[in-house]
Amino acid sequence: MATPRPIRSMDPYAEQFWTFTQKKEFRLQKCSECGKFRWPPGPTCDRCLSDEYAWTPMAGRGKVLSWTTFHRGYFPEYPAPHTVMVLELDEGPLFVAYPVEMAPEDLREGIVLSLRWTDGQDEFGEYNLPVFGPLAK
Amino acid sequence: MAISFDQTRLAPLKNSVAVVGVGETDYGSDYRGAGGKAVAKGEARYDSYTLASRALKRALDDAGLNKDDIDGLCVANLSSERACEVWGMNPRWSGGGDAAQCIIEATMAINCGLCTTVALVYGNAQRSMNTAYGGSRVTGGGITSYFYYAPWGLTSQGALYALLFQRHKLLYGTTEEQLGAIAVAFRKHACMNPNAVMQKPITIDDYLNARYVAEPLRLFDYCLINDGGVAIIVRRADMVSDCRHPPIMVSGFGWSEENVDATQLRPRLKDFYHTAHRDVAAQVYPMAGVTPQDIDVFATYDSFSVHLLASLEGFGFCKEGEGGAFVQEGRIEVGGELPCNTSGGMLSESYMQSWNHQPELVRQLRGGLGQRQVQGAEVAQYVHDVAGKCKSIIYTKGD
Repeated sequence: MATPRPIRSMDPYAEQFWTFTQKKEFRLQKCSECGKFRWPPGPTCDRCLSDEYAWTPMAGRGKVLSWTTFHRGYFPEYPAPHTVMVLELDEGPLFVAYPVEMAPEDLREGIVLSLRWTDGQDEFGEYNLPVFGPLAK
Repeated sequence: MAISFDQTRLAPLKNSVAVVGVGETDYGSDYRGAGGKAVAKGEARYDSYTLASRALKRALDDAGLNKDDIDGLCVANLSSERACEVWGMNPRWSGGGDAAQCIIEATMAINCGLCTTVALVYGNAQRSMNTAYGGSRVTGGGITSYFYYAPWGLTSQGALYALLFQRHKLLYGTTEEQLGAIAVAFRKHACMNPNAVMQKPITIDDYLNARYVAEPLRLFDYCLINDGGVAIIVRRADMVSDCRHPPIMVSGFGWSEENVDATQLRPRLKDFYHTAHRDVAAQVYPMAGVTPQDIDVFATYDSFSVHLLASLEGFGFCKEGEGGAFVQEGRIEVGGELPCNTSGGMLSESYMQSWNHQPELVRQLRGGLGQRQVQGAEVAQYVHDVAGKCKSIIYTKGD
């Protein structure tokens, strides 16, 4: 049984994003007209309003912009302390995740981390959650 | 986005509408309860209509008007239909939203000739009703950064503002001790305000010794969760002669939203919402005919202390990155260079989601607030910035 996690916000576009994660594919929508990546998933390009897009594989690298450590437990699935960070992906979008295979104290502004997968499930089903850890040495 | 406001068309709206009445509930004594015991969350005592109704009655009394003088209504956190039914009103125009939005909307409606006298009314029984602002009771809705990242364990507005402050620390070297000056100053103001929920002063050591909630934000960086209601009566400026108090003029306003890539947190972390701040500043100051140097009393939306840093930098009271230094040495306290959130704000007076700031600014301009009165106050500014939905109002004393 996969690890229970707080419920995802689901819509037809999020559903496609999460379906790719079942195969451990980290894909975001890229506008077929102007090339802008978007996140969260949605129906149209916010830059040019084209509804043509392709689910494009991401390099899975991002640099750390900021982080926060919860000292109060909000979710039973994430007892305190729990650290969440925001990365700027190589392709441009900002992406929220939590750090793995490293101590949260070792987070620094601008360090580059790479994609890992961890399992998850909620009432919509099982999926894999993209998280980030140190680059391979 | 192109700058679309037109100062020529806005100019006639300056001082066209006045605030003639304000009313609030008894934040402090309601919180402490009849027996002096604080109301526990979820211990239902009021509903939002109870609180809104009480504030409305007080605002009408303050204005020297009665409900039949009201022909326009803006409500917040209430159903307009039910509110009208409760108060026996059939308005000729209605709107709603946050306090600054309602002031702007009402000013436009009055100038369009749709109505003359508008009641702006808010009520929130959030403590009685045990409203949640984070965790599993706010997940799974639509798309917003508030709960979109629940699968990773990110939740609550507080954590989003913690991310903003952490970014500010990383970029500018702002310290937690510097941030602490905001909570200490607002608490000091609350202790001069008998209606404030919090009445016990805190020191910077108390601040630093308090627990983190979402690090780097601590307990005292967070707003209160309390019950309350606020009402504001605004009226066409040429109809104020029969009101009880001298009019306080709506002299300028501005509105700009920064929503592109909002859920991604881009405007929050890459811009501190300064693009919206600069747009609003470019509208509100010229419309009112003042500059930041002319502001005698300032109030900002403060669900979290760090809002003030972003506002001060974005509106040009200091340079970007210098907010942490600006808020030191009593500069933001009554008697200082720019007294901010003089009622105690949402951190220490009452969490009325922008609404309690308006009566405070109006009363500061009327004068006679005792200990917390800003001497000679003639120009007051409110800045509303909730996740980049930025508005500002400048109030001045009527002639």
